[in-house]
Amino acid sequence: MFFRTVGQFKTSYRKDQALFPVRQDAVLLWVILLFAWVVFPFTASEFTFQTLLIPILIYSLAAIGLNILTGYAGQLSLGTAAFMGVGAYACYKMITLMPWMNPIVAILLSGVFSAGIGVAFGIPSLRIKGFYLAIATLAAQFFLVWLFEKWAWLYNYNASGAIQVPNLKSMGVYVAGPQASSIVQYYVVLGVVTFLTIVVINLTRGNLGRTWKATRDMDIAADLIGVNLMKSKLTAFAVSSFIVGVAGALFVFMWRGAAEPNLFDIPLSFRILFIAIIGGLGSILGNYLGAILIVGLPVVLNTVPEALGLPISSATVEHLNIMIVGSLIVFFLIIEPHGLNQLWRLIREKLITWPFPH
Amino acid sequence: MKPIFKLAAAAVAAAVTAGAVSAESIYVPNLSYRTGPFASTGIPLMNGQKDYFTMLNARDGGIGGVEIEFAECETGYSTEKGVECYEKTKGEAVVTQPWSTGITLQVLPKTNVDKIPVLAPGYGFSPMADGKVFQWAFNAPASYWDGASMILKYLSGGDANALKGKKIAFLHLDHPYGKEPIPFLQQEAAKMGFELLLIPVGLKEMQNQSAQWLQIRRERPDNVIMWGWGAMNAGAITEAVKTKYPMENFIGVWWAGHSADLAIVGERGTGYKSISWSKPVADAAVWADIQEHVVAPGLTVSSEEERKGVFYSRGLVMSVILAEGIAAAQKEFGTGKINAEQMRWGLENVNLSDARLAELGMTGMVPPFATSCSDHTGHSGAWMLEWNGSEFVQASDHITPDRDAILPLETAKAAEYAAANAPWPVNEACGN
Repeated sequence: MFFRTVGQFKTSYRKDQALFPVRQDAVLLWVILLFAWVVFPFTASEFTFQTLLIPILIYSLAAIGLNILTGYAGQLSLGTAAFMGVGAYACYKMITLMPWMNPIVAILLSGVFSAGIGVAFGIPSLRIKGFYLAIATLAAQFFLVWLFEKWAWLYNYNASGAIQVPNLKSMGVYVAGPQASSIVQYYVVLGVVTFLTIVVINLTRGNLGRTWKATRDMDIAADLIGVNLMKSKLTAFAVSSFIVGVAGALFVFMWRGAAEPNLFDIPLSFRILFIAIIGGLGSILGNYLGAILIVGLPVVLNTVPEALGLPISSATVEHLNIMIVGSLIVFFLIIEPHGLNQLWRLIREKLITWPFPH
Repeated sequence: MKPIFKLAAAAVAAAVTAGAVSAESIYVPNLSYRTGPFASTGIPLMNGQKDYFTMLNARDGGIGGVEIEFAECETGYSTEKGVECYEKTKGEAVVTQPWSTGITLQVLPKTNVDKIPVLAPGYGFSPMADGKVFQWAFNAPASYWDGASMILKYLSGGDANALKGKKIAFLHLDHPYGKEPIPFLQQEAAKMGFELLLIPVGLKEMQNQSAQWLQIRRERPDNVIMWGWGAMNAGAITEAVKTKYPMENFIGVWWAGHSADLAIVGERGTGYKSISWSKPVADAAVWADIQEHVVAPGLTVSSEEERKGVFYSRGLVMSVILAEGIAAAQKEFGTGKINAEQMRWGLENVNLSDARLAELGMTGMVPPFATSCSDHTGHSGAWMLEWNGSEFVQASDHITPDRDAILPLETAKAAEYAAANAPWPVNEACGN
């Protein structure tokens, strides 16, 4: 009823090729964007900004980056966190070596460094596939984290071995560091994430995206029909690592404020992989849904007992939380192994034909 | 006690005249970790901290007649959760107890903006002792550099030349916490003429330190100093026993002196030492109150065994420092329900003298110390504790850190931090 597509005629190729050909989808998108850009910032508290809005956006972006590589190009990667680290450290070095640099520019540029490192570690993908490639990316994970620990130049010889974000201004306003206000940081993150999402949607629909999908579905067949596998795989590594690197720079500069090397260790890689898998491999929307489930839900659940006035100790809440989120993950994967994105797609299909399914 | 009674009376009167005022209390959150990889060391500390405030609430109705709402927010030692907890609690809190060095690092730069004191008893960034620069951070009663200095003093017996030509291994967690004393140790190594051997233990290798101990066996250092935490301590101690390293030459920081870690090796751990600014005193008067008001009514989750350990009584001491800070602030500002700004003043004016410790029934549980505007640590000094096969016993007289060696480094690093985080307001009102 709400999703009836009857009467929406496409009279030009341009309309037919639109990003959201169904009008309701486009309306829904505008509503979400309106919430994200206008409603949330003016209603959210400091707590909501710092524990829900900003982290969900950053994790979504990291998962989008991984999804390009794993979901679209079919190259399994376990090194996401290390590439985030490259972005974060590159940004830190640029900011400290060139303090005049605009922090937002530095964040976007740091993606270039992680893209380079990503391509270097993507070269083995030309020879090996599947689980073997996963091991090769695991090597990147171990090596880079080791490098972050041992190469003191990266953290400016700081005694604690951690990097700390200084107070940074862009156009007269603090955007990073302890002096920055949450709402400013939120807008910076939202701007970068929105922009990169639009870029990625377009990339995956276009020529490049199609060669990635062909590589994923059957690389030999793709090779036979003239897809340049080397180019396809390496561009996937480059684009993916670029986005992941930007997400890493945002992670440290717009949210955490400080980072020690082991922050970028395997648990973070797994967390992002889970977001991508539960959201749905080969989708964009899924990354957001996955991040809401894995990053946002535990925070919300933590506040429930207190809001209801239940006298449960904080440690018990934490245990309960782990159990609930864990079982929800299992539940969602059982009812829809292809992830939350597929679940939404099925609901939408049903809505389009409702109430007359035949 | 008199002023406190007066305060209590005033608070009651205020509450009565104000009519329908909701129950007044001071909100004191603790970013606890009773779950996760460090839970085994966290639980006794958290229990000690919590039980002391439970006791105060039951015995005296809180501090100055105002109930203390001691709330825990579980972090599992994860920095991410820590930030979540900080954001959740900062609205009402008069103090933040961040617990992990990672969370401290995260919270420290925000303190000048949020204006909530950070209390990190015996941990965190050593230059936090400089109260002029770190107006909102407190690491009473001793910093890590104090600890390193005291260990060296114990080893040299106060003779600056005693360590010349010796080789000292520094076994540490490869993490901001473990790296903290390195600048000081390097400075001292150059000055005292000993060779410093840095042996890092990665977070993933905590339980399997065979490579590190192989290196120790090969290098044969005269002493091993350990900066370990959680699973790393038990790993190092069992490994030391296995490689037959002489335990009497093995010294840990106060966090590496957990009774349960040594209980695993028992007799074979005899001689292991740990520098500590707190120690369990079985006949201290405070135990009777804890027994009566906390244990008997069943308000604690700690066990009999745990209460005898080093960490539980350290938890008590931490809460005493905080409670004294609250009491001092209440007295100064003549109000029961203090705010964060007043709490800061209170923590700068903690005076745990011998007489005060006796009054609290805690004589001998912590060396007497006092904080001030420019000194946020107090530099209590410490004792060397030694494992005798079944428990930790005092093995030295009271040792004090070599402040003359630490102070220049502290000032320099604090200034460096302030410069890196500019604009960073400095409390010029502080004298030295």
